[in-house]
Amino acid sequence: MSNHSLLEVDQLRVRFGGEVDAVRSVSFTLEAGDSLAIVGESGSGKSTLALCLLGLIQPPEASGRVRLAGQEMLGQSAAVLRSRRWSTAALALQGSPFNPVVRVGDQVAEPLRDRRGASRSEARRRAGELAAEVALDPALLDRYPHQLSGGERRRASLAMTLALDPALVILDEPTAGLDPASRAELVERIRALTEQRGFALIVISHDLPDAARLAARTIVFYAGTAIEDGVTARVMLEPAHPYSWALINAFPVMSTVKDLRPIRGVPPDPRAVPSGCAFHPRCTRADDRCTELRPELAESRGRLVACHFGGLKDLLVATNVAKTFRGAGHDVHALCGVSLAVHEGESVGVIGPSGSGKSTLARILAGHLAPDSGRVLLGDTALPTSWRGGTAKQLRRRIQLVMQDPIDALSPRLTVEQLVREPLDVGRDGEPDERGRVVADMLERVGLPSSGSFLSARPHELSGGQLQRVALARALVMRPKVLVADEPTAMLDASEQARLLVILRERQVEMGLGLVLVSHDMALVRKMVDRIVVLDGGEIVEEGSSEQVSLRPASITARRLVEAAPALIATSVRVHPTAPIDEWSSR
Amino acid sequence: MGAYVGTILCLIVINFLVPRLMPGDPIDALVAQSSETFMFGDDSRASLEAYYGIDRPLPQQFGHYLVQLGRGDLGRSIATNAPVRDELARRLPWTLLLIGTSLVLATAVGLLAGVHSGWRRGRTMDRILLVALLAVREFPPFLLGSLLLVVFAVKLDWLPLFGGETPFSSSYSFFERIVDVGQHLLLPALVLTVGLAAGTFLLMRAGMVSELGADHLLLGRAKGLRERTLKYRYAARNALLPVVSLTALQLGFVVTGDVLIERVFAYPGLGGLIFDSIRARDYPTIQGAFLLVAISVVSFNALADVLYRRLDPRTAA
Repeated sequence: MSNHSLLEVDQLRVRFGGEVDAVRSVSFTLEAGDSLAIVGESGSGKSTLALCLLGLIQPPEASGRVRLAGQEMLGQSAAVLRSRRWSTAALALQGSPFNPVVRVGDQVAEPLRDRRGASRSEARRRAGELAAEVALDPALLDRYPHQLSGGERRRASLAMTLALDPALVILDEPTAGLDPASRAELVERIRALTEQRGFALIVISHDLPDAARLAARTIVFYAGTAIEDGVTARVMLEPAHPYSWALINAFPVMSTVKDLRPIRGVPPDPRAVPSGCAFHPRCTRADDRCTELRPELAESRGRLVACHFGGLKDLLVATNVAKTFRGAGHDVHALCGVSLAVHEGESVGVIGPSGSGKSTLARILAGHLAPDSGRVLLGDTALPTSWRGGTAKQLRRRIQLVMQDPIDALSPRLTVEQLVREPLDVGRDGEPDERGRVVADMLERVGLPSSGSFLSARPHELSGGQLQRVALARALVMRPKVLVADEPTAMLDASEQARLLVILRERQVEMGLGLVLVSHDMALVRKMVDRIVVLDGGEIVEEGSSEQVSLRPASITARRLVEAAPALIATSVRVHPTAPIDEWSSR
Repeated sequence: MGAYVGTILCLIVINFLVPRLMPGDPIDALVAQSSETFMFGDDSRASLEAYYGIDRPLPQQFGHYLVQLGRGDLGRSIATNAPVRDELARRLPWTLLLIGTSLVLATAVGLLAGVHSGWRRGRTMDRILLVALLAVREFPPFLLGSLLLVVFAVKLDWLPLFGGETPFSSSYSFFERIVDVGQHLLLPALVLTVGLAAGTFLLMRAGMVSELGADHLLLGRAKGLRERTLKYRYAARNALLPVVSLTALQLGFVVTGDVLIERVFAYPGLGGLIFDSIRARDYPTIQGAFLLVAISVVSFNALADVLYRRLDPRTAA
């Protein structure tokens, strides 16, 4: 009874009705006293997994192995199952269901009466004690379930799980539907209980903060399988799987200052789970391997990730980039050893005062300027100093630059259609007649007319906002993986700026673009990016998440930029280097 | 409570009007040429009409009826001239016995079979019960009654052919009388029971089946409770609720069945009386019998409501 784990799940599969794949091969183990969060979108098979752990789903639907305290739970006799349920592992079901016609207290103590043969008065006494443990008013035990509020039901449900003092408590969405205050209170209560009683905890939730507070380890579930498994802090703060990253990015937390980003596409239908990696239709970097071969969980960046690429990798990496412009009389050290990395779908803001080297960095990152020393890697390939040759051309189309002033950037002699089409013609991309459609499509995507006289208009006939969107279309038409935008909205009014940024964000989600946004406007950058790099005098003086840099800047440069950021009323944005971030609203 | 009183008041009006809307009238029936009391002549007819008060305008008749009713007087039968109240009182116990026995039996059988069938849905026992009860139910009751009579009373001669008790059985001992009444009751009660039990069975079974998928049952399983606890305390207890309402509603239909069955078995209850009085257009008797039925059905429903509220804490105020 001692050398096995509390819970061993091995290649568990659940298929309902021969066609609905609810759980697709899940394996993990849990030791006594451990805490584990299982997170994922609704319908990802989390709740089904919970039922399997108590043997509530049996063959032929379920296959594989579930060993609870050394006892196989699949294909087991009813008597053995009964002997393990609730006493070894107890489960609080999603939505805290109760028998509607039986008093709550009787249900809390029911396992004692039914399983342990406790007397009525003994059961009542225990129910009272359990209620006290979960901070539930014992008077409520005499009520019927419908007379309890959602929070009270959750507590009663929790008290019920403790009735037989189980070694493992499984909570399915313990806080769903609760208001924030009672949610926080309940989470704290659960934490305290795990410490006092020392039971192992599995918490199933789509609420990431709750999961993060309750469990030391997190498994991310997608389409019925685990796609990432590791220490909670690591999984939540530096998610490796593209899905985990997208899920965590889609989740609003108090400290989020940037706009929320939905995950592109829709969750898979369990009746028709995509082949290979189930996430591939929504992943921006999937290749043939992903559509054919199912990835297994494998060690990557200090956790397990089920991804053929070992999770998100850096797309654009600049290492120790330096650039000096030699002028007559004195040299300008524009960049002195700057390192920067952007991964797939990520936005990085480069911010700094004028003359800090932002634009130089942008041009070097985009490959338009060769650094004096250091190197820039795109994927696994170093950016060449010359753009001649086939490889260079392939690389070039993967990285595009949008400049500050579209009037400078776009030839005044070409029409809109020619401007957007030119990169395709130069790159001999697709059939010539197909290019027209690609151009029209891209113009629509940036919110411009795609037919008629607009196509033959020339730059001087267009507004600044339209022109910048033409420039964006020209950059995106090559389907790049990285877009470097250098002050793209500097020449635009607020409304046009908002429009351009919204378009940029949409295209980013859709195409999985890595984005480097160069600007001196902190208010704008923090809404757009995941990470901010502060540049001053050609060096990086601060780097961190957008909320951290914008709300609690550490460097003088960053503080100045925050103070200089646009505010309608001069005092509306204060800088609290030490204030807790909760004081700040996200907008 | 007000709703029940209102219902009964409406029923009094309908009870009064409907018999009078039927073609023919009681005097026609009374003076039918084939009857022994055949009399001829408009004079005698007019005097009979005047005697029973049916020559007066309807509103006046209705007013008179209400006043009578207020005194607790149901009037005299036009066909037999006996006080309607006495006739009802004489026949009511028989019907109560028949309907009561059938309803109790049907509910018990339907519930037990339904619980069992639903809990083990799709198993052999479930299929047998389902087919058997449905088949019996679809069988016309009067045909079933006649069939049973032919087999058990005529061919085998195990059971009496008609009536509620053996004539002139007053000399029997108390115990013998009980056996005698029981023997007379058996077949009609059986026919009525099978018709009723099927409805209860189907509803209880459907309730059990839907309870099988209920989250609280899943919770009960997770708690490792005994099968018996799950079956009765979780599933059956919740599936029972709609059956209570159904049983109360069924009482109305039982009366219809009762009329037919009592005819087939020549049972001395209200059913036979209703049948005869309708044939004779015997307004006072029809009114009296239907009023009794209406009040019974309404009070039974009121009782069911009370019971339901006790069974389901969610409906308690």
